[in-house]
Amino acid sequence: MTVLADGDGQDLLALERRSSSLRSVKSAASYAVLVLFTIISVGPALYIISPAFRNSKSLFSYPPQWLPNEFYLGNFQFLLTETNYVRWAMNTLIFATGVTLIALVIDTLAGYAFARMQFPLKKTLFGLILATLMVPTAAVLAPTYLLVRFLDDVTFGLVGIDTYPGLILPMTVSPLGVFMMRQFIETLPPGLYEAARIDGASEWRIFTRIVLPLMKPAIVVLGIFVFMLQWANLLWPLVATTKDETRVLTVGISTLQGQFVTNWGVIAAATLITLLPITIVFLFFQKWFVQASVAGALKQ
Amino acid sequence: MAEVIIRQLTKSFGDNTVVKSVSLKAENGEFLVLLGPSGCGKSTILRLIAGLEDATSGEILIDGKIVNFVSPVNRNAAFVFQNYALYPHMTVHKNIAFPLATAGMPKPEIDAAVQEAARILELSHLLERLPSQLSGGQRQRVALARAIVRKPAVFLMDEPLSNLDAQLRQQTRLELMDLHQRLGITTIYVTHDQVEAMTMGQRIAILKDGELQQVAPPSEAYDQPANTFVARFMGAPPMNLIPVTVSGSGSAWTAATQDGSVELDLTSMGVTQAAIGARKSESMHFGVRPEHLSLAPSGTGLSGKVRFVEPTGSDTFVTVQLGEANVVVRCAAHETAKVGASVGLAVNPAKAHLFGADGWNLRTK
Repeated sequence: MTVLADGDGQDLLALERRSSSLRSVKSAASYAVLVLFTIISVGPALYIISPAFRNSKSLFSYPPQWLPNEFYLGNFQFLLTETNYVRWAMNTLIFATGVTLIALVIDTLAGYAFARMQFPLKKTLFGLILATLMVPTAAVLAPTYLLVRFLDDVTFGLVGIDTYPGLILPMTVSPLGVFMMRQFIETLPPGLYEAARIDGASEWRIFTRIVLPLMKPAIVVLGIFVFMLQWANLLWPLVATTKDETRVLTVGISTLQGQFVTNWGVIAAATLITLLPITIVFLFFQKWFVQASVAGALKQ
Repeated sequence: MAEVIIRQLTKSFGDNTVVKSVSLKAENGEFLVLLGPSGCGKSTILRLIAGLEDATSGEILIDGKIVNFVSPVNRNAAFVFQNYALYPHMTVHKNIAFPLATAGMPKPEIDAAVQEAARILELSHLLERLPSQLSGGQRQRVALARAIVRKPAVFLMDEPLSNLDAQLRQQTRLELMDLHQRLGITTIYVTHDQVEAMTMGQRIAILKDGELQQVAPPSEAYDQPANTFVARFMGAPPMNLIPVTVSGSGSAWTAATQDGSVELDLTSMGVTQAAIGARKSESMHFGVRPEHLSLAPSGTGLSGKVRFVEPTGSDTFVTVQLGEANVVVRCAAHETAKVGASVGLAVNPAKAHLFGADGWNLRTK
């Protein structure tokens, strides 16, 4: 046992106090940063709740009023009866679901090919796919539009402007999805493929019976990610749709802003019910996100 | 059942040749063990036989047919992986049934085959469980069941016991031997554990750096090692190798160290007078196993000083410094020696070996 002199004991106590207060300061600083980022990210979403339940006059009252005096549902009524909101919502659902399903098929197949198969120029092709991540969406907007216009002519309107295929197909190709799927497949033990090969399974059977079921967490995460991204996509639908009945929610809501007068209550109500489905979807699948993010770290 | 023959088999990965012109034959129904340290190419040979790797050169024959370009499934060989390689999302039943379902076998036949394999490996009560709900030993049995359900001609096992703890490993070892006796399927078994090789193999093929060193029954590999590598790799503690100079003529030859000399029994050692006469100028090693040495009064045979005494319960290992070399002597449990004491070492000349400068045994047969 070590015997401490009196002075040593006081020094240790002071050291302990200092490190304890340092820990408190660090902890307070972390909380402050977290609270700040929470306000920045959640604040705008919360801010639209109040105007959605107030009439347009009370929105500009002075002094500013943060909470509604009465529960006003007129904005929602206007939205559902006087605009094409339901149609936009249906279009958005078809658009986001279509992109998600097709992207999942492409990304899992491409990810499998890049992770497990041997073919000429594999590394070069994968490098090229990754390189497209550096190209801004806005830069490819015009060429994509021209391509869809061209397809409009050659497919006799099947894939074109103001059509679902024209809206969906250009958004299904995602380098990030291919990369994610490849990375996940690479974490699966190679012994599984070899065992399946010895058991007589073809490449397709290995993919469908062994790899796909094991990829469930990654597929769910990528699916939600793509769905949420497309649900809130504005840029491409803005270019690819010209008619009110082909618009998606983001584009539709933007048209509610008038040239001279804008009913912000209606816009807030539209934004609120637009955010609702993806919020629910995210909350429902939140645990999958966590599972998938730790899966790679824990897999042997 | 089938015999497996490999001829002049070579495998390179880029510039790195991991299997160097290995020729080997596993007889019908034999249990052949490939033994060697990590990186010696034993697993690669097994993977080449299974068809998981393509040979750079050489031939692989299973049941008399060259299978170099035959797909893994059509080689009629089942592979048991070190990490089991069970499909984690499938129940035990589905895991065992997978090769049969892939082959398109009707469901009633699959069920019957799975039940039979499960019965043999005592898995019948675990069929609806997932691999994650099984112990290591049970998972290994499922991997074996998946292998035997196909009724393969050859079993290829890649260190199947290395993930098990010591007690379970010993139990599973006995189960594997029992399974081999019952099914009689030709088995090629890879391990780096010489105890596993000695206890399980009918013959052992010892490899080093991709080259075959010796193929022999376990007792022969232990008693008559082909070279110093095999002598040191087989046995724990390994064979003592003492640098010596040999001199003599006719049938009377002596191996001398700076601390004494030993009369060589050329007949027992299997060394001809011509062989030793031709190589007497080489720097040689005198090899003797710890159990063929005994402590003797100082001045007898070889002389040295006791450095360590290690009682293990059943035996006591005494390390004696002999010039530059440390020599281990296996003594009876009750026998003791004092550290630092001068002792003599008596050698059983009939069990000794002489290795040339190239490391190979001078024994002619």
